[in-house]
Amino acid sequence: MGKIIGAIGMSHIMFPPDGIEEQAERVLQGMLAVRNKVRELKPDLIILAGGDHLNNFNLAVQVTLAIGVCDSFATMGDGGVPASEFPGNRVFAEGFTRFAARHDFELVQLEEVRPDHGMAFPKLVLDPANSIPTIPLYINAAMPVPPSPARCHRLGAVLRDYVEQQRPQEERVLVVGTGGLSHWLRVPGEGRVAEEFDAEVINALISGESERIARLSTEEIVEASGNGGLEVIAWLFAAGAVRHAQGEKIYYEAVPAWITGMGAVALLADD
Amino acid sequence: MAVAPYRVHRLIQDLMRNPAEAAQFAKDPAADYRRYGLADREARLLEAGSLEAMTELGVHPNLQMKFLRLRKASGDGAKLVGAGPLDAYLDRLLEP
Repeated sequence: MGKIIGAIGMSHIMFPPDGIEEQAERVLQGMLAVRNKVRELKPDLIILAGGDHLNNFNLAVQVTLAIGVCDSFATMGDGGVPASEFPGNRVFAEGFTRFAARHDFELVQLEEVRPDHGMAFPKLVLDPANSIPTIPLYINAAMPVPPSPARCHRLGAVLRDYVEQQRPQEERVLVVGTGGLSHWLRVPGEGRVAEEFDAEVINALISGESERIARLSTEEIVEASGNGGLEVIAWLFAAGAVRHAQGEKIYYEAVPAWITGMGAVALLADD
Repeated sequence: MAVAPYRVHRLIQDLMRNPAEAAQFAKDPAADYRRYGLADREARLLEAGSLEAMTELGVHPNLQMKFLRLRKASGDGAKLVGAGPLDAYLDRLLEP
């Protein structure tokens, strides 16, 4: 059986440091600490969960859960992230799609997708050499009817079962949920940062109590942390893949200048 | 919260994936507003572009940003992709 070696939750973009140079540097150091964590963990494969910003998907066909099954991915080059290409893992991705379908999740398979900054920036942080095969798993919080927090968490558990039941011995899989933390994007309230709620999320996850956040409704999370804050459902997916593993806060910064809370956690599976 | 009629979202989505149409739109937005069947009120709120106007119309947040970027680019005569927001960090982020 394969092994989920850990889960990471992380914000998925940075903005210029103008006027907040010291704080931006702390965020960058947090990102680099995430990179070091990946080096320590030595994954064979990364499952990179997060949302698209209506670049690959739009309101014509409102896809909520989807998985990149192609052999490699060329990123869009938006958001200041240099365009690059990274390998996927078709056998894993297609196998997971079939496994998930037997466990109440129909994932849309993507043969053509160009990950935008929401995937490309974390990928740059995690694996700048693009040497670790990585499967984008879309959890589109920006869709009008997104998947519920509980369902995202449960999909993480299904991924764990797949890895443990069907993947080769010794395969080391790292699950990364990207986005958030709290932000109100182009809606009333824009500029707010919900520092207390962000802390609640981080503390729940690193205490092995992600279910506490997963029990909240979509509406409750949006109310507490904004429409952008709902991206935390990708963190819940990642946490769902490591059961009650505890972990550490790598960094947190409330950054009003970027209208968002920025943070990262690492949850390490027990050996 | 209001949700804009799909014709509004469809217009923005089409402009994003069709540079020729976006160029035409920059010259004569009213023609596209008519072609997509936007009511005068809808076109006015979209043109206003403020958070309040977009909220009243119910434009999806991501599509608001795309529309505003498109309008800014046509106004400036600038390209959609400008100076990189990550330039200050790239040397360290790209370091393998």
